[in-house]
Amino acid sequence: MKRALYLISMLLLASFVAVGCGGEKKEDKKAEAPKAGLKIGSLGPLTGQYAADGNDIKNGVLAAIEVMNPEMGALGPVTLQAEDDACDPRQAVAAANKLINEKVTAVIGAYCSSATIPASEPLIAAKIFMITPASTNEKVTERGMPYMYRTCGRDDDQSKAAVKFMAEQLKAKAIYIVDDKTTYSQGLADNVEKLAPGANLKVLGHEHVNQGDKDYSAVLTKVKAAKPDVFYVSLQNSASAAPMLIQIARMGIKTKILAQDAVYHPQLMELAKKDAEGVFLTFGYTDKETPAYKKFAEAYKKFGEPGAYSAYSYDSTVAYLKAVKAAGSTDPEKVKAELAKLEFDGASKKIKYKENGDSGSNYVIQVVKDGKFTNYWNPETGELFK
Amino acid sequence: MEFLLQQLVNGITLGGVYALVALGYTMVYGIIQLINFAHGEIYAAGGYMGVILISWLFSQGFPPAVCLGAALVLAMGYCAMLAMAVEKVAYKPLRQSSRLSVLLSALGMSIFLQNGLMLTQGVYDRAYPTEMVQGGFEFGGAVVSWMQVIIVGVTVLLLVALNLLVFKTRIGKAMRATAQDKTMSALVGINSNRIISLTFAIGAGLAAAAGIMVGLYYGSVRYDMGFVPGVKAFSAAVLGGIGNITGAMLGGLIIGMIEVLAAGYISSEYKDVFAFVILIAVLYFMPTGIMGENVDDTRV
Amino acid sequence: MTIRASKLWLGYGLAMVWFYFLLWPLMGIKPEGLEFQTSLAVWGKVAAASAVLLALYQLKQGGAFRFLEKPAQAGAEALAAVTGRVPTWLALCVVAGAAVAFPFLTERYAHDVAISVLVYIILGLGLNVVVGLAGLLDLGYIAFFGVGAYTYALMSVHFGLSFWLCLPISGCFAAIAGCIIGYPTLRMRGDYLAIVTLGFGEIVRIVINNWMSLTNGPNGILGIKAPGAYWFNKGSFEHIWLNNLEQLYFVILGLAVFTIVAVYRLNYSRIGRAFEAVREDQTAAELMGVNTLRLKLLAYALGAVFGGLAGTFFAARMKFVSPESFTFIESAMVLAMVVLGGMGSIPGVILGSLALIALPEVFRGFELYRMFVFGGVMAVMMLFRPRGLWPAKRMGVRSEEKD
Repeated sequence: MKRALYLISMLLLASFVAVGCGGEKKEDKKAEAPKAGLKIGSLGPLTGQYAADGNDIKNGVLAAIEVMNPEMGALGPVTLQAEDDACDPRQAVAAANKLINEKVTAVIGAYCSSATIPASEPLIAAKIFMITPASTNEKVTERGMPYMYRTCGRDDDQSKAAVKFMAEQLKAKAIYIVDDKTTYSQGLADNVEKLAPGANLKVLGHEHVNQGDKDYSAVLTKVKAAKPDVFYVSLQNSASAAPMLIQIARMGIKTKILAQDAVYHPQLMELAKKDAEGVFLTFGYTDKETPAYKKFAEAYKKFGEPGAYSAYSYDSTVAYLKAVKAAGSTDPEKVKAELAKLEFDGASKKIKYKENGDSGSNYVIQVVKDGKFTNYWNPETGELFK
Repeated sequence: MEFLLQQLVNGITLGGVYALVALGYTMVYGIIQLINFAHGEIYAAGGYMGVILISWLFSQGFPPAVCLGAALVLAMGYCAMLAMAVEKVAYKPLRQSSRLSVLLSALGMSIFLQNGLMLTQGVYDRAYPTEMVQGGFEFGGAVVSWMQVIIVGVTVLLLVALNLLVFKTRIGKAMRATAQDKTMSALVGINSNRIISLTFAIGAGLAAAAGIMVGLYYGSVRYDMGFVPGVKAFSAAVLGGIGNITGAMLGGLIIGMIEVLAAGYISSEYKDVFAFVILIAVLYFMPTGIMGENVDDTRV
Repeated sequence: MTIRASKLWLGYGLAMVWFYFLLWPLMGIKPEGLEFQTSLAVWGKVAAASAVLLALYQLKQGGAFRFLEKPAQAGAEALAAVTGRVPTWLALCVVAGAAVAFPFLTERYAHDVAISVLVYIILGLGLNVVVGLAGLLDLGYIAFFGVGAYTYALMSVHFGLSFWLCLPISGCFAAIAGCIIGYPTLRMRGDYLAIVTLGFGEIVRIVINNWMSLTNGPNGILGIKAPGAYWFNKGSFEHIWLNNLEQLYFVILGLAVFTIVAVYRLNYSRIGRAFEAVREDQTAAELMGVNTLRLKLLAYALGAVFGGLAGTFFAARMKFVSPESFTFIESAMVLAMVVLGGMGSIPGVILGSLALIALPEVFRGFELYRMFVFGGVMAVMMLFRPRGLWPAKRMGVRSEEKD
């Protein structure tokens, strides 16, 4: 009897493997059906702590492929090879090498700057385009990499917008900063701290919390005691921001809160509910009324609500495919020349890549109002949106 | 003073959660000398079961208190079943093997369960209906939320129940006997396999309760939520003297307090360093933890 | 049906019911209502697959496959007889030849995986000294890897020191770190040791992550130089950077061979025997005049040196280091390699590293199922071979086998 139970449990495990294989094969068939064509890769954390953001990126690419496929003509059809880097530099490099082996011509990704930077080395050396929709660290494009592009904005621009907003619109005198120690979140927070004195903002404190922590009560107690005018929250993603907002409300901290673009995700409202109400955040300006955005939203519908980087990853893919179409081939030099010329209305913003691969930043301030992200203030003009 | 009081309230809440999870580690360790790496995942599964059951019961129109109570009980039962299954599949066949083999099997189960949760529940966070428990009161300038009261209350309740079970009942006696000497207890008619299963089930039930309360407190659960508290709770169990139930409660409370106080008064980024340094210092002077007994010398 | 068989199927039924009770709440309870279809579909697949496997097992027990087993067994015996006659040096030559020829036969992705495997072989062998030989459970081993990687990264970026010079320096730093970690743990045993080493591993990682002025925190260190070498080219020696994956493969292959030889020699040295004595029975070893405290420190330091070497190479190969590479889960992975391969056995650790690094890469095709399958396979492998894939040969009866 015991032996039997043991055996069966073993079988159970084995069969899980079998089920896994079964699922896999089906997908393979789907992927193999269209032969030849253009193959692009995506890189992002499909497992691990930031899996949600990695999946947003992958889905954005899929949506773009679906939209662009009919237009690609003889160059098509476009297929996607999605790889997981788990935000780990070692796995990112392994995945990059795998993509090189699979003969992709461009890679959309990665998410964490610490994965993008090492993965870009082999990719660029193999003359494969790398367009990151999410890594906002300055160093990504400032290393003189010829095929490195970025569709999202940069940390330094975002912090400028944040400081301007706090000083001019919120008329704050004293701020408190918290980040969660990633390349991205800490980079932003440090920039804000550096810029704050220039705008007559007093930094009362700059605390760090660890990734994976959910209990912020100790730090929040400090914030409460310091009584800042604005609490600047720089966290790696919406999942860590939601518990922060809940605990802020529970502690009875009434100060205004300013967050950044990584927090932009519909799940923020789902998780924090009414505690998310009134939170400001810096985010790349996206006009949701443009035809380009509506087209994106339509194509993305089957994956659910778009996340912070879905539109950027969609635009990155569209930009590359447009360049390929204009060049008439996937030859890296020709595509690079076309990408330099390319200018179009993307879902997120007007896409135009500069010499170094950046596409410029256009951060505005949004606010959570009635459970929705709404444009609030434009740092360019210093005016409120209507 | 207000500041200290508030931090103490925070510390007790955090410590209570650690203590509940630490009990599972310590009980399993006490009985089969295994660091059950999969325990953190049981806690996560409890968190998920909680949200699944609460939202279903809520949609059926039950009042919140009933939802909460029923979900708590059902999720505890579910996790007990899960832990018993894990024990049967991955640990029991290895009972005669070296302890590191079981450790590795536990590690494998941890990865397996965590990813199983991811596959069935998705990679996104799942929201808890936090609106069920709202508000709080002021106490000497410190804000105490009702949720914190519930956490501490349920923790104390469960700890008392556990103590009664272990020290006052026949089953508890059998558990203690099995932990001391499996062969001898089998000779006097204790079914050690059943007792081991039961130990896993009880530990898992406590972890499930912790998972639900953490979900309600922080507003969300995610498939990988078990890892960090798992490590912390394991430290707590060792600090208190692994294998010792009272020690685990004490250890959980101490680790929670150290973390909060270190973050409040010294540096939030190095708070885990402080927790570990104190742990190492305590172990240096008391090599078997605060309340631990002497471990047999020949064990590795 | 025999009684045994019916019991078997009864157990199967029970297990399946139990499994369904675990599966259904996760998949079937939704706010919209209760649903059985999806969970039943998955359950059905699992039940069918396990029924088939169970039936096969029963047939095998009943002897239905004897016609297959007999020739297979005969073949295996013949093979064993042949391989038994092949001298060890010849087998080693074949393995070495395969290792050297490997980069010329495969593509760059395979090179990349192979390099990872070799790095982890060094790590595994280093940890093997601590866990396998000296019997000290270490859950924070990756800290030494980190110390090595950061030592080289900082030396290379700030002082421009070469890779080859930094190898011994990193080794020394790692050894010092090993002693620091080893010292307070000397009095502890078993699982207390486990948590203290885990704590140290975490402390190292947190410090790396927070010491901005030295390590640049989470941003990591960029611009680390690859190993350099002098290469004969057109009648003169010239200096080149070994950037290419194939060249790096040979560098790490050399390091791995060095490690293997060193650990092999250590195994059979006086110190190695003393380690084993400490592992088997510390009190007895002490009575025999072995200085256990010093030996334990030595074990930590020696293990750490190899971790440091691997770390140095890792930094040179990635040209980038950041704290994400040195988390607890990596320590657990290295430990898994040692235990899975077979504690104290060099070929075992090599096999273990191969399995644990190559498998997730092989499973890449499963996409989301990758780590799920990996975790399951890890547990199953342990169940089938609890002493490891290639257990170390040991003499005499050991205490743990007696109880």
